[in-house]
Amino acid sequence: MKNTLLAAASAIFATALSFAPAGAQEAPEKVTVGYLNLVNAQLVTKHLGLMQKHMPDVEIEYIKVGGGGDMLRAIAADQVDFGGLGNPPTAIGVTRGLPIKGIMVLNMLDYVEAMVVRSDAGIKSFKDLAGKKLAAPFGSTTHYLLLQALTDEGVDPASMEILDLRPNDIAVAWVRGDIDAAWFWEPNLDKAVKNGGHIFMTSGIMASRGYPTWDVGVVMNEFAEKYPDYVEKFLAAECEGIDYWLGNPAETAQIIADELELDLADATRMMNGTEMVPCDKQLTAQYLGTTGDIGQFADTLVATAEFLASQKRLPKVLSREEFADFLKPGYLEKVVGE
Amino acid sequence: MSQLSPRSRALVLSTLSVALLIGGWIFVTETGIANDLFLPGPVAVGKAFVEVATEGYQGSTLLEHVGTSLYRILVAFGFAVVVGIPLGIAMGASLDAHAFFSPLVEFYRPLPPLGLYTLLVMWLGIGEESKFALLFLAALPGIVITTIQAVKSIDPVYVRAAKVLGASWRTVLWEVYLPAAGPTILAGMRISLGFTYTVLVAAEIVAATAGIGWMIWDAAKFLLSDVVIMGLIVLGLTGMALDLAMRGLGRLLMPWTR
Repeated sequence: MKNTLLAAASAIFATALSFAPAGAQEAPEKVTVGYLNLVNAQLVTKHLGLMQKHMPDVEIEYIKVGGGGDMLRAIAADQVDFGGLGNPPTAIGVTRGLPIKGIMVLNMLDYVEAMVVRSDAGIKSFKDLAGKKLAAPFGSTTHYLLLQALTDEGVDPASMEILDLRPNDIAVAWVRGDIDAAWFWEPNLDKAVKNGGHIFMTSGIMASRGYPTWDVGVVMNEFAEKYPDYVEKFLAAECEGIDYWLGNPAETAQIIADELELDLADATRMMNGTEMVPCDKQLTAQYLGTTGDIGQFADTLVATAEFLASQKRLPKVLSREEFADFLKPGYLEKVVGE
Repeated sequence: MSQLSPRSRALVLSTLSVALLIGGWIFVTETGIANDLFLPGPVAVGKAFVEVATEGYQGSTLLEHVGTSLYRILVAFGFAVVVGIPLGIAMGASLDAHAFFSPLVEFYRPLPPLGLYTLLVMWLGIGEESKFALLFLAALPGIVITTIQAVKSIDPVYVRAAKVLGASWRTVLWEVYLPAAGPTILAGMRISLGFTYTVLVAAEIVAATAGIGWMIWDAAKFLLSDVVIMGLIVLGLTGMALDLAMRGLGRLLMPWTR
């Protein structure tokens, strides 16, 4: 619980610091980017050194974060300037008043996140999961989709054992044969598929059923107030990474293979299981929308928050306006406009 | 305060330190110095306590969470006592036993529990076994090392005298080693139990669905800091209660230490 203490201490410091006049537009000494351990264009941006290219005068530090829960803690403890969050952790963070703003779409989740079942466990429908052992990282996009799918299919989650495991632990437990099904993501998902499992449901199918899941890029409020130019530089770098991903699939697959130490074939499949949204398209109603007219991401956040509140994981549900206020497409508008 | 007996003086001072802590807590939360996301006030924590005690947290009531954790701790600690005390006496009484076992104990003792845990999960799985094993490994060295010290510090004259008078090995063990080393061993057990407690949250991170450590970990993930702080307070209080019980047991078993 060191993090809580650290967070308390940093909160006190942050309060003290906020009285200092904001230095207008000097460069930060260092920019810390927390990136999630999943497959998206942030790997391209990182691999090609695009962040460094757009801010040559600044030291860039990349921190790999395992999942949304860890990212929330990193944000609460003020250990990153930029981060990435799936919709459930975002709903949690915004409701709990974390000082962050959503500035871009990192990725839309298709079959890069999927539910894998043990092929010899005889699971043909969600009802067959009764009495089985399942795993998902609690509080993540896949935990949300798992419970959402069970609710839709009319299956009581209490009829099965759902365990909270981190993706790498799921892979270990799967190989040992401790669990029968798991909903999680690449690159670890593949280890389960290759060890006697097959894909039963994907996050992409759930998106078509009205439950889109995504990861949004966030910036710490304090950083954005102090260095708005650098938020735009960050976005310019990430947009260049996305364009590279969309324009050079073969090279991108190779980059993913290098970054995650995978076979090229696996990297290609994972890449195709993730939908990257070009930066100009991110400003349409299906995604962030525009400054005056925030898009569907706000609706997904409301739906996610309602769901989490029904799980008693959230004390209250914020309004659409409050979630819309978290989304700030303004920085991206400037970058796309240039 | 000089007219107070040492006992009531101690009571006053203890009350004062607790009052200062709670007073400080109320002060920083009421004045808004601390962000209530990171440090909720006593009222919010009290509410969380009532809610979890009556309605439960994610399927288990507070009592069930505490019970699950205490079961894990006591089983693992019990095993550590059963293995650790004989091992410590052997290592303390015999140079050969010491030479044989000490590299093993000394090697794994400083390893961080979380590093060990990854291996334990791979070997023993995500069930209770790996949790017991981690807690057991955390509890063991403290008991072994203090037992060695306790046995070594016994005046060898006692042992020789007993042997000269015809005492068997068993008599020497029960009538000389254990009574003389008992108080130090008990102190070691108290320290060891405290250390086992510090590993509890780590042990319940992987695939637990109940337990006070898991509750703290899960609540932290959802930024429910009132539940986190409440859990820590409960953990601390149960730890103190266990320690008190152990001291009581010590006085009962070893009346000469009173």
